[in-house]
Amino acid sequence: MRSLQREPGLLLALLAVIALVSVFIVYPQLRVILTPGSGYVDFLTGGSWQRPLLNSIQVVALSTTSAVILGFVFAYGMVYTDMPWKPFFRIIGILPLLSPPFVVAAAYVILFGPRGVITYGVFGQTISVFGLMGIWGVQTIAFFPFAYQLIADVLSRSDARLEQAARNLGAGPWQVFRSVTLPLSRPGLGAAVLTTSIYVLEDFGNPALIGGTFTVLPTQAYGLLSGFGDLPGATAVSSLLLALALLLYVAKIRLDGGRSFVTVSGRASSMPRPPVPVALSRACFVACLALAILIITVYGSLVVSALTKTFPTNLTFTTEHFTYITSGTNGSALQNTLVFGLVAAAFSAAFALLAGWLVQRVAFSGARVLDFLLIMPAAIPGLFFGIGYATAFNEPWLDWLDRGVLIIISMIFWNIPVGYQAAVSGLRQIDRTLDEAATSLGASSLRGFRDVLLPMLGGSLRVGFVTTFVRAVTTLSVVIFLFTPASTVATIRIYQLVNDLNFGAATAFTVADIGMAIIALSIIAVLARGRIALGAARA
Amino acid sequence: MSPDPTSRDAAVHLRVDHVTKMFGATAAVDDISFGIPRGSFATLLGPSGCGKTTTLRMIAGFYDPDKGDIILSGKRINELPAHRRGTAMVFQDYALFPHMTVKQNVAYGLRVAGVANDEREKRVGDTLQFVGLAGLGDRWPNQLSGGQQQRVAVGRALVLQPQILLLDEPLSNLDAKLRVQLRWELRSLQQRLGMTFVYVTHDQDEALSLSDWIAVMNAGKVEQAGTPWEIYYHPRTAFLADFVGAVNIVPGTVREVRGDEVVVAFGERSVTVRRPAGLALSAGREVRLCVRPEALALRPPSADPDGLRLPGVVARRAFLGDLMRYWVTVDGREWIVDQPDPGAAADFDGPVTVAVKPERIHVIAEG
Repeated sequence: MRSLQREPGLLLALLAVIALVSVFIVYPQLRVILTPGSGYVDFLTGGSWQRPLLNSIQVVALSTTSAVILGFVFAYGMVYTDMPWKPFFRIIGILPLLSPPFVVAAAYVILFGPRGVITYGVFGQTISVFGLMGIWGVQTIAFFPFAYQLIADVLSRSDARLEQAARNLGAGPWQVFRSVTLPLSRPGLGAAVLTTSIYVLEDFGNPALIGGTFTVLPTQAYGLLSGFGDLPGATAVSSLLLALALLLYVAKIRLDGGRSFVTVSGRASSMPRPPVPVALSRACFVACLALAILIITVYGSLVVSALTKTFPTNLTFTTEHFTYITSGTNGSALQNTLVFGLVAAAFSAAFALLAGWLVQRVAFSGARVLDFLLIMPAAIPGLFFGIGYATAFNEPWLDWLDRGVLIIISMIFWNIPVGYQAAVSGLRQIDRTLDEAATSLGASSLRGFRDVLLPMLGGSLRVGFVTTFVRAVTTLSVVIFLFTPASTVATIRIYQLVNDLNFGAATAFTVADIGMAIIALSIIAVLARGRIALGAARA
Repeated sequence: MSPDPTSRDAAVHLRVDHVTKMFGATAAVDDISFGIPRGSFATLLGPSGCGKTTTLRMIAGFYDPDKGDIILSGKRINELPAHRRGTAMVFQDYALFPHMTVKQNVAYGLRVAGVANDEREKRVGDTLQFVGLAGLGDRWPNQLSGGQQQRVAVGRALVLQPQILLLDEPLSNLDAKLRVQLRWELRSLQQRLGMTFVYVTHDQDEALSLSDWIAVMNAGKVEQAGTPWEIYYHPRTAFLADFVGAVNIVPGTVREVRGDEVVVAFGERSVTVRRPAGLALSAGREVRLCVRPEALALRPPSADPDGLRLPGVVARRAFLGDLMRYWVTVDGREWIVDQPDPGAAADFDGPVTVAVKPERIHVIAEG
């Protein structure tokens, strides 16, 4: 506290961070929660929320379970076995992270819809595939890569030395896994499960595209606002959604907060893991291959559809879809996606780093509150965040504010936890005496941060930037209430085009969006000399 | 640097005045006061957790004292931010900036101070020369040995010509031989510069060999401050005597006070020793006799040396290279006796006589 009084620059920086967090994180949320007011009574007694709530819970339970099981198999195969084709599987595991999750639904419609390649083309059926089963299947495919990344991260941190020690004491591979690996990584695995469940809970695009009459909380909130202009109803549903997400998030934090035995020191153990039986390796390989084929089918069908006239009935090669999506409003949507994503990623990573430093290194009362507020957006469903911005900033006196800027701001603050947690873990690895050394040599706190810490936090900055960029270009729910024709982005257009049943253009858009993300990341990777890493979006 | 005339005592460079620092409910530093003479090599010595590093960090400005004042050159600096105090610090783990070369590390403070390029270059060059790192300026910290890193840390602080240099256990991460070598380098550096050094260590050899002035701390208090000689031979408390070097401490009772001398009874025996200055003693007072192992000598049981003679039996011995350490049982109590140059004489075994000159015995009266 005293150091703040003595260093006006530091105080100013802190006040700026507090002001921005208050305006762009706290205020919009409060607006949503408070909007229904007495409407909560009508809402709760009306009972229209019961069905979507039950549906949401059902979907979360089913999709999380299946996604986690598949993710675990994938992760186990990658971390523990010496199965072949690992580099290939690694790419397969990352690809879905670079695309909007709801494109899986688009592929699903193409493959299994009323005129689907498989249902109609192969079997001549026009069965309805919309509803719970469809959502379950689609979310499983869409979110198992997320579960895989989280679980692989936990498993790869478990100490190989302990496993070697257990083997040395006579335990077999299965016994080692059950009695050493699993107990040690249980909190981490639990946290991974809960994190995956939040992804599923907040998923808006997939249920919106293939849910049909099966409404979940995010689609109900969207429907109420866009269909009926029922702001109190939409905000009440959103608040319910938030409560559920917070519940899961708090459980997650309690699981991995301090009780994880898995080392997080970043000190990679160079010892190899004890070998697993060949049969197990083979089984994992087969399972991973099957999953890879599924992923390739999904994304492959998008690519084929993008390059043919009307997939699957007319397979004539054409570039007309790409011509269409790169011209006019569509072209500017692509451009917006790139610009918004890059700008938001840069600001988000930089702001998160500054905030992380202030919370970690500068002693002030209220640091814990600020810490909580900076992590909190990780628990906020994108749709809630979007409604928050629409409610808070769609004011006449803010008409001068460009909607594009507002979208960028929403992306910056929705993704703050990513960069913030990267900054915090980066700072934890830098000894405090380095700051003090700078201070004792005459540098003010801010100067020391700039000269000494910042150059050493490049890794954290890159994680924040890359992850925020990817999340910004793949999000649909955050922007769906904020866009205007001039400030539309790729995910919005894809969603609209699928709804218009214009699959050719929609898939071309998807391919362009993913391609753009890959190219941008490749350029960043080259600029950073390969030192980029994708952080867990909800670390 | 001329002494500040406003100072209460111009010779005192740094004064710590009734300073207390609480961590939660425990006082890490408990109402300590001392003054460090200008141009001296001053050491805060004590076991871990005694508050010595906390004191140093309050002087540096990393901690705020809860009570008391820190006065540098006659000015109270409590409210001065750490980066404006001119108290450069050398850290235990050196805290070299890993992303800067040796030269950049040393130049950092000058760059912050806005020193012009030419002068900066010159001063960095001079400093590297001075600390024996000429030619290594373009290395990275991780390309240096521990000793070299330590020199960079010292050079980085010295280049600023600070008012006072703070050193926090700067030698503790080095191996034993290098530690001793760098000790002399630090001492000669300090003497050449005439700068005030405040040095924190838990190593009593280091403290004794380097310092002009030592404050021994324990449990947040300064137990005793003074020259190494005073601390070693005239410790005021048993803790001090025990902490600084090996020592024999024997409880006794004052039988008689005769001017500058005092007769102390211990067990069945008694000895006449010098009365410590400033210590009021009267007959019947419980005291402790304190004598260093190297002040004792072993003689054959038949020998009849001057001074006090204590017949005993060798219980065990340890060969320490430069000396042989004996544990001799005298009247049921073990005495430590160090014999120098063990190669020159035969080992003792069985019954012996422990001989000591009474003037080598020091009296401690506590509480």
